[in-house]
Amino acid sequence: MPDSGRSPSADQAVIRLKDRLLKGYRARICGELVRPATAASLLDLPPDLAPGLREALTARGLPQLYAHQREAFDLARAGRHLVVATPTASGKTLCYNLPVLDAVLRGGKKALYLFPTKALAQDQVAELIELGRALKDAGADGVRAYTFDGDTPGDARKAVRTRGDIVVSNPDMLHQAILPHHTKWAQFFEGLAFVVVDELHSYRGVFGSHVANVFRRLKRVCRFYGVSPTFIFTSATIGNPAELAGRLCGETVTALIESGAPQGERHLLLWNPPVINPDLGIRASARSQTTRIARMAAKVGLKAIVFARSRLMVEVITKYLKDVFDKDPRHPPRVLAYRGGYLPSERRAAEQAMRAGRVDLVVSTSALELGMDIGALDVAILNGYPGTVAATWQRLGRAGRRLRPSLGVLVATSDPLDQYLVRHPEFFFGASPEQARIHPDQLLILLEQVRCAAFELPFRDGETFGAEDLGEMLSYLRDEGVLQRQGDQWFWVADSYPANAVSLRSVAEGNFVVIDTTGGAQTIIAEVDWSSAPGTLYVGAIYMIQAQPYQVERLDWPGRKAFVTRTQADYYTDAIDYTRLKILDRFEGRASGQGATANGEVHLVRRYPGYKKIRYYSHDNIGYGNIDLPDQEMHTTAVWWQAEPSALESALPDRAQAIEGFLGAAYALHHVAALRSMAEIHDLGRAVGDGQGTWFAVTGNTGRGQLRGPDNAPVDGEGVDRFEPTLFLYDNYPGGVGLSAPLYDAAEVLVRDARDLVAGCGCTGGCPACVGPIMPGDEVRVITPREAALRVLGLLEGGAPGLDQCAAG
Amino acid sequence: MGFEERLRRIRAPAAVPDANAAVSPPDGPSLTERLRRISTGRVTPAPVATGTPDESALAVALGAALLCPGVLCLERRLDPRLRHGRVLLGSSHRLVHLPWTPVPPVGWISAAHPPTAQPLSPWLCLDTETSGLAGGTGTWAFLTGLLRPDGAGWCLRQYLLTRLDAESAYLERVAAELAPPACLLTYNGRTFDAPLLATRFRLAARPDPLTALPHLDLLAPTRRAFARAWPDCRLATAESRLLGVHRDGDLPGSAAPAAWLGWLRRGETGPLAACLRHNRADLLSLAGLLPVLDAVYRDPAAFGADCRAVAAAHLAHGDQPLALRILTANRRGLDAPGLHDLARLHRRAGDWGSALGIWQDLAARGDLQARAALARFYEHRGGDLARAMEFTVTLPPGPERERRRDRLRAKLQRGGGGQQIELSIDIRHDGV
Repeated sequence: MPDSGRSPSADQAVIRLKDRLLKGYRARICGELVRPATAASLLDLPPDLAPGLREALTARGLPQLYAHQREAFDLARAGRHLVVATPTASGKTLCYNLPVLDAVLRGGKKALYLFPTKALAQDQVAELIELGRALKDAGADGVRAYTFDGDTPGDARKAVRTRGDIVVSNPDMLHQAILPHHTKWAQFFEGLAFVVVDELHSYRGVFGSHVANVFRRLKRVCRFYGVSPTFIFTSATIGNPAELAGRLCGETVTALIESGAPQGERHLLLWNPPVINPDLGIRASARSQTTRIARMAAKVGLKAIVFARSRLMVEVITKYLKDVFDKDPRHPPRVLAYRGGYLPSERRAAEQAMRAGRVDLVVSTSALELGMDIGALDVAILNGYPGTVAATWQRLGRAGRRLRPSLGVLVATSDPLDQYLVRHPEFFFGASPEQARIHPDQLLILLEQVRCAAFELPFRDGETFGAEDLGEMLSYLRDEGVLQRQGDQWFWVADSYPANAVSLRSVAEGNFVVIDTTGGAQTIIAEVDWSSAPGTLYVGAIYMIQAQPYQVERLDWPGRKAFVTRTQADYYTDAIDYTRLKILDRFEGRASGQGATANGEVHLVRRYPGYKKIRYYSHDNIGYGNIDLPDQEMHTTAVWWQAEPSALESALPDRAQAIEGFLGAAYALHHVAALRSMAEIHDLGRAVGDGQGTWFAVTGNTGRGQLRGPDNAPVDGEGVDRFEPTLFLYDNYPGGVGLSAPLYDAAEVLVRDARDLVAGCGCTGGCPACVGPIMPGDEVRVITPREAALRVLGLLEGGAPGLDQCAAG
Repeated sequence: MGFEERLRRIRAPAAVPDANAAVSPPDGPSLTERLRRISTGRVTPAPVATGTPDESALAVALGAALLCPGVLCLERRLDPRLRHGRVLLGSSHRLVHLPWTPVPPVGWISAAHPPTAQPLSPWLCLDTETSGLAGGTGTWAFLTGLLRPDGAGWCLRQYLLTRLDAESAYLERVAAELAPPACLLTYNGRTFDAPLLATRFRLAARPDPLTALPHLDLLAPTRRAFARAWPDCRLATAESRLLGVHRDGDLPGSAAPAAWLGWLRRGETGPLAACLRHNRADLLSLAGLLPVLDAVYRDPAAFGADCRAVAAAHLAHGDQPLALRILTANRRGLDAPGLHDLARLHRRAGDWGSALGIWQDLAARGDLQARAALARFYEHRGGDLARAMEFTVTLPPGPERERRRDRLRAKLQRGGGGQQIELSIDIRHDGV
């Protein structure tokens, strides 16, 4: 498509800015990439589109399609499930809208669109309404597209159910409102031809595992109404779109990854703030670098977007930029913040201002990374690595719409992941390293979903649902009293609505609700995942919502309730926890360097003996409190590494140092594993122990590694008979969510990544960016914590055991 | 890696024996055992003891007939002289003229029932007992009670589902009862029983017979009349206050799910029998409430009902004279909004004197709306601009008052009288 708004001077300005950055800050730039412009690959509109559709598209300036849009149409029309995983701004929306509109106009077919956020859903409906208008102008029937979410008023719901051609909703509504009431949607289901799932890459981990089961339920209900809809997914660039989509919908899915859309030249810089304290490895803040680059961009007349990782950081950066650009209140603002938590009207106004080009600098959270239309920008600055390579590209894709050259700058924070990535540009420049994983047959998730499915339609003997033995699960639910078997069917008989008790974002066990009792009333103000409850909701804990502190007064553990009151405390609380792991079952194992790696099932005990009170700002420890909770036990899956004892002894004769080495190695491995598996850091846990639960290692108050016994009493490492430290990475969910098996498969790569992370760090003896925080003075020890970690990782990898060799390589 | 491979991993013992690791039995632990292991805080269910439900014995115990496996029907004829609380049931079913409710309600009109026609269909009282209140496809209507006029008396039929796999046959019998001509009478049935039955019919792939019937739900008119007078408008409250019915040893509706489950699991019949009694009592109250509610809507004060709300209902159904009569008769008991309603009705009927009287009383008590009405009246109707100005200046400041004051001032300066101004009254008075 020609770009009438293209101005050669802006094109040059992007290049000039990049040159200036390269010239002035050479030492901070640790990676540079140029992707040349690509021309459009166009194909004709399908010859036999529904009447009016061709005219409507032509009227909207779309006389032809990009190649991938046409391919998507042909596949969808043939009833083949597909996923479109092309870059941001490549026209993915039309890949599903075209086949859907064609089917709606031809013969009363219906489509269900699922978006992860309400804002995106509303954007979609607005676009569909415009298309519908163009269709009417072209003399065709219109299409009726409605959103269906928690905000849809009760009296409008019936119209959505019975009259909507396209219903735009989200997975939670499908799970809690649509499927359990499918008979009310009978008309809709009878015509359902397409299920469109946008932002596929966000369906991973626990959420993805649940949604895969929601789709199993959806397909069951569809069979009941005699239809089998075609799934169309769109995704950011990840390593396994077809596999992930296939696991989600339980079908064979074709991936379209080649984009036919034209693209301007793209420049990417990886930026590492300068080291300001080499001993402790402390760097200048990412924020200072980000604001500097944003200022330079605005001063040469470029439009830029800054992405920050937290709402707070959005506000801070916005303030700093406004202090420069919006000093005069008589002029319209040039800097704008955009994040969740603003009123919808405020956000709409901001979007409009951006589209109209009235804003020079936008500062946003991930809220803008998704497909909202905000017009053309020249520069994208990422204040910190967003957590996944896919999200990085999505954010960078915000700059450079409409064929213009664009510049992206990723500014690293001092987090280990950031530090690792800026030193490994190949993660961005090669094929996507990220494999999104789901585990739909995770036993607890599956059981809860079978429960929901049984509510919706009775199961018949011989039916299947997931990979587990369904009969066994149904018997379990019968014993629980919710099902009754009669004839060859299993009927729901309980007085409950199971979907309400199942959150798609947690693994069973029931979330805790936080109830504010200030002033006598009881208001639910938050929900806390079961697994994080013991560390956050203990009597005396300060629980924060929007910076308002609440104190936990009473805990109803079996009832999953925490009663809190508002407080003015000038401190926050931090629970102290100890984790012990015991290997229950080893599924498989193999030699790894001078040690071994294995995966299997583990038993984990987490104890919360007490908590610290920490004063704001000064971070002084101003007291302790006891936590009176039973030990939290969990069975989960883990991958672990052990070093051959004699090799360990020769590499690190001092056992205390060996422990420190294992703790540091665990820290590094934990972070690189989260990167490879597209997991959040807290989806995985790490621990160092002996695998028998007889001792475990912690970093003590002195900053040194210590051994503790089962009762948390210190243990003398030299006195331990069989000293075989084990490094665990475990799935931090009861039963596991399938993260550890792939980690075992990639164990060698992980150890290598971890060693690269530690070896390539700019610090001397260890820092939060590689092996975790160290105490002042540790960096001058003969064997620093960093060196100890490298030796351990060297043993596990095989070969080079020390820093010298690593540094040389 | 495929599903089977992963399963093998989870279930199979370690491929390489490890002295440190515990070894699982060759077949792997059972599902229950695995759930117990990974569950934290979950209570493993003990298998529920199961008796063997005996349908024939249940039929005998209930005095019902076994229509087919899984479906029982209890049938009774009720004498017209039967009393339910204070009400003689025979008085109900001849009742066809209900000025307080458009029957058939507008949404349910079919071509055969033009809106002006009174119901041609006999009443059909409907009440179900369900396996829960949660709604959704997992909630059963295991008992459907029906009560219809039969000669001078009534015929009661209760259909009970005693086997889960017999629902289709059960619904077939219920559907046969729900054939026209009949006008459904329920209490909270529009939002509860009817949608629930629609779901069950849909799940059994049967057409929903309810959509063909006109439907009068008594909850809305009861709520309208008594919401301000009673703590709640549940059927139990309505029957106790309006019919004088007090149930002894009644099984609460909330115990119905457990009663049915007790039968399905253990063959218990006692609670189920209580459930049927409860359902019968509900149906009788339903039939009894109809004539009483009719009386309430003719003379609300006699029943402690909200006269203003009842009059508003009559007005909404186009019966202005009845509304006026009710408000006039109960003028003493009306609050300010009620008095304004009454004044409005007087005004519409052209009875300016009565309207004026009410406004003056209210204005004397400081009622601003009444002062505004008086200002309007004296400016446009009464032709007394000075008095109009007197009331205008006591109104709260605002653009409306300023406009009126300026206009009155101009008129007074012109020395205008009432006559030529009076022409504009019709339009002006709409908002009084």
